[in-house]
Amino acid sequence: MQTEKFYYDNKIVKYFANATALWGVVGMIVGLWVAIQFYLPASSLDYAGTTFGRLRPIHTNAVIFAFVGNCMFTGIYYSLQRLCKSRMFSDTLSWIHFWGWQSIIVAAALTLFFGFTTGKEYAELEWPIDIMITLIWVVFGVNMFGTIFKRRESHLYVAIWFYIATWITVAMLHIVNSFEMPVSLFKSYSWYAGVQDALVQWWYGHNAVAFFLTTPILGLMYYFLPKAANRPVYSYRLSIIHFWALIFIYIWAGPHHLLYTALPDWAQSLGVVFSVMLIAPSWGGMLNGLFTLRGAWDKVREEPVLKFFVVAVTCYGMSTFEGPMLSLKSVNAIAHFTDWIIGHVHIGGLGWNGFMAFGMLYWLVPKMWGTTLYSKKLATNHFWLGTIGIVIYAIPLYWAGFAQAEMWKTFTESGQLKFQFLETVTNIIPMYITRSVGGTLYLIGAFMMVYNLIKTAKQGTFIANEEAEAAPLAKHESHVKEYWHRWIERKPATLLVFSLIVVAIGGILEIVPTFLIKSNVPTITSVKPYTPLELQGRDIYIREGCYTCHSQMIRPFRDEVARYGEYSKAGEFIYDHPFQWGSKRTGPDLAREGGKYPDSWHYNHMMDPRSMSPGSIMPNYPWLLDNDLDTASTPAKIRAMQKLGVPYAEGFDAKANKDLMTQANGIRISLKMDKIETPANKEIIALIAYLQRLGKDIKAEKKTETAASN
Amino acid sequence: MFTYKKHFLSSFLRKLYIAAPLLLLGTAATAQQTGGAPAPSIWDNALALTMLIISLVLLLVIALLANVVLGTAKLHFDKQKKSDSATKIVAVLLLFLAPSLLHAQDAATDAAAAAPSSIGGLTPLTFWVLAGVIAVELLVILVMGLFVKRFLAKEKIAIAAEAGIAAEAKPSGFKVWWDKLNSFKPMEKEADIDLGHNYDGIRELDNRLPPWWLYGFYVTIIIGAIYLWRYHISETAPLSKQEFEIAMKKADEEKAAYLAKSANNVDENTVTILKEPAALDAGKATFVQMCAACHGKAGEGGVGPNLTDDYWIHGGSIKDVFKTIKYGWPEKGMKAWQDDFSPVQIAQIASYIKSLHGTNPPNAKEKQGDLYKEDGAAPAADSTAKKDVVIK
Repeated sequence: MQTEKFYYDNKIVKYFANATALWGVVGMIVGLWVAIQFYLPASSLDYAGTTFGRLRPIHTNAVIFAFVGNCMFTGIYYSLQRLCKSRMFSDTLSWIHFWGWQSIIVAAALTLFFGFTTGKEYAELEWPIDIMITLIWVVFGVNMFGTIFKRRESHLYVAIWFYIATWITVAMLHIVNSFEMPVSLFKSYSWYAGVQDALVQWWYGHNAVAFFLTTPILGLMYYFLPKAANRPVYSYRLSIIHFWALIFIYIWAGPHHLLYTALPDWAQSLGVVFSVMLIAPSWGGMLNGLFTLRGAWDKVREEPVLKFFVVAVTCYGMSTFEGPMLSLKSVNAIAHFTDWIIGHVHIGGLGWNGFMAFGMLYWLVPKMWGTTLYSKKLATNHFWLGTIGIVIYAIPLYWAGFAQAEMWKTFTESGQLKFQFLETVTNIIPMYITRSVGGTLYLIGAFMMVYNLIKTAKQGTFIANEEAEAAPLAKHESHVKEYWHRWIERKPATLLVFSLIVVAIGGILEIVPTFLIKSNVPTITSVKPYTPLELQGRDIYIREGCYTCHSQMIRPFRDEVARYGEYSKAGEFIYDHPFQWGSKRTGPDLAREGGKYPDSWHYNHMMDPRSMSPGSIMPNYPWLLDNDLDTASTPAKIRAMQKLGVPYAEGFDAKANKDLMTQANGIRISLKMDKIETPANKEIIALIAYLQRLGKDIKAEKKTETAASN
Repeated sequence: MFTYKKHFLSSFLRKLYIAAPLLLLGTAATAQQTGGAPAPSIWDNALALTMLIISLVLLLVIALLANVVLGTAKLHFDKQKKSDSATKIVAVLLLFLAPSLLHAQDAATDAAAAAPSSIGGLTPLTFWVLAGVIAVELLVILVMGLFVKRFLAKEKIAIAAEAGIAAEAKPSGFKVWWDKLNSFKPMEKEADIDLGHNYDGIRELDNRLPPWWLYGFYVTIIIGAIYLWRYHISETAPLSKQEFEIAMKKADEEKAAYLAKSANNVDENTVTILKEPAALDAGKATFVQMCAACHGKAGEGGVGPNLTDDYWIHGGSIKDVFKTIKYGWPEKGMKAWQDDFSPVQIAQIASYIKSLHGTNPPNAKEKQGDLYKEDGAAPAADSTAKKDVVIK
């Protein structure tokens, strides 16, 4: 048959690869910075943009969506063209995708720096950026499917199944989780509240890990690992089974992030069992990767690319075994809210994602520049430095997490908590220091790679358009009996639809009942909407990223009830758009902070936490004392809340600021009693109002109950 | 190379994979029925669960190893044309397996009857039975390993003798076991399972699913089903709120038992001022660490009131001060400390605070509350001195 000549587009791959390296280094530097803030609170520079609460979302967004995102696009743009024997569908769309994604990253970094955030972990970006992401994701999808449809290869290789599942699922997750009510250009409230918001958020958050950090990278593994090892993929049927099982089961496991919370028990249990069932499908990917190296292990000794892949795949196996273990309630009771989880995610992040990206770049750059790697030795050193870095990073955090949880849970014989919260923090500071050393080693390795790759590129010549030849796709005729799955591999649209159905089932069955069945969130009559001042204070709490260190979810454990008060109930959060349960307790839980300390304590504590709690590692928030509260936004915020179903009286938006000033004045007077002079219109006043409100509703109910029974 | 045939033992073991969790399920369920109150079942105990899981995993290893042993044994005896002794070997193996299986059943039954206390929340009996099962399983694995080694050694010699080929060409025992465990196809026969796919030079093989992976997958699904059944259908496992109630009840009992037998049982009705320097020093240490942030290092007041003057918002007797510390006045910003400090510690702090009376520290806060006079004591005569400090 007549073959056609065409050219692969390497230029777009080069740009995405550059972006991968750039954002990787940036994201890791920010990560190191926040790690140092754990033992040097002064490194927050007393400046709003560089406190932990704002830098942490910048770090997570940078490494997930910028570093791994660009890595995913690099690998997809390179491999998809070759697996489809076709240039990308449209160069224009490729470039829109590239520049669109980079501008999203820049917009994200800037807005997060200035405190514009939705307050939902891994989905912090405000609504205009959410829309941008949706549009660019569609561009990517059109470009990808365009390429697939004009392919010269009859069947879709397993890597492409993973790309398709990634694309459709990320689209679904992003859109459903990003429903929000805009208040202004950079402020919105989540459509969902409390328990429902938490469920949707962790359905999203968990599957961002699944479908942004796992499935696309598995796709890359299926292309780059056999290529680099020059070995056939170990088992085609393992690919099939683990692909479908993985995407079906993953979606269900989100509630394991909410064990022992106010989420209904049945949803928690589904999270547990589907996490346990996830071990084998995840390990299927690891086995298929490692067994592909059968007969090529001698090459692993020589080739740094394969070294990176082997450790990456092994780390993938480790964290996907650890994840289900952490989903067992008895383990979760210890690990949740501690640094154990941070250690766990970094095994996946640094090991699996980072090393896959490094291995891929070391393989790609010499290929695209028509040369060999500048220094294999340097790459091997990078490999060892990175591996040691991961170990030094993770082990101290496992230790810290376990030690701190044990301290939290220790009681004296006479039934008192043995340790103050702060003691449990200062006790693990050495672990935080060690962790940042591990991170530094890893970062140095990344710099070594950048140098090595630049040198490699310099010694070669870039092949912008790589020539290839293939016969056009003929109508498929099968004469022999085929494996049943071959049928769907010829039908990309069917594969897309099937993937969507498979991933939609779990989400629908968990989310819909939580929304529709009233008994899942029993109402508590004493729970009232926030006052305008408290609402403003809450927005400051969200803006400063307080949720990155403080939870608002008291679990039904003896120690938490003794330390923080009665355990949290689902009905307490019905006006929380968004929920602020948090996922880490670097500081104590704040769910019942209201009334624990006087207003003046909070004032001094926000100005300098160490004046009230010596040894605290919380940053200073001096600007809250100086900034005027933006009361102009109050009516719009009240109206947005009304639209979301919060029962403020009709026309309350007009009166809201009067109400706000009355309450602010009360706080001003109470501060004055304690010798603190401040005008009532400062941001700190609103924040104090919010903190003093936390958990009060249930206390109020208690009082009425006692009054009634007397 | 031999071809692997299904043996009755392996099919039996395969059934066992499925039966074992069901067996556990059954016994665990009985545990709930025997006790009137929800007796803590083995499913609540992390240690028991871990040990059970370990013993299950070991059981799987044994099963897989048994396949290897049988395979190597068969190979060995086929070569020697002594198929009758192969059955003997199988019998020996069964003998090794049987006790561990029986133990597994015992363990489950005993665990079911377990009452709380002792080793990691398990009765010593349960613990040792579980440990015993694991030990026996390890022993079986060891013995089977030896079997494999022995057969392979003989095999090696036989082949070397037959063909005169150097023994080094033979794979190690571990490799045989590993290949068998994963159901690997020999490398040289790879062409047989090449599917002929070619994606940019990437070929695909059609290797079998690693058996341990597949059965592991089934086991997790079974565990999932049992979990849901126990928590939401039979309702024999405690959900988080019930778990909390059980824990609180236990804590209350322990606390009551401790207080009953010790001199710790001080409360606001029985407390008296402690005068011993040791007690006051202890009180001071706690005060500086926990109270000074609000009340000042010398009790001069700050966010909280001055503790050195004659004026008290909530009463100035040792009993009142004790009560204020213990229960707090949360609406005024004073936290309740009863969950942080023991009664004795609170008495120490209260006594230390009482010892600060009249010390006149610098920067003292203005008077708050009512004048309090100690019974029989003269009021402090320094009220004029305080007035100067008030206006600051």
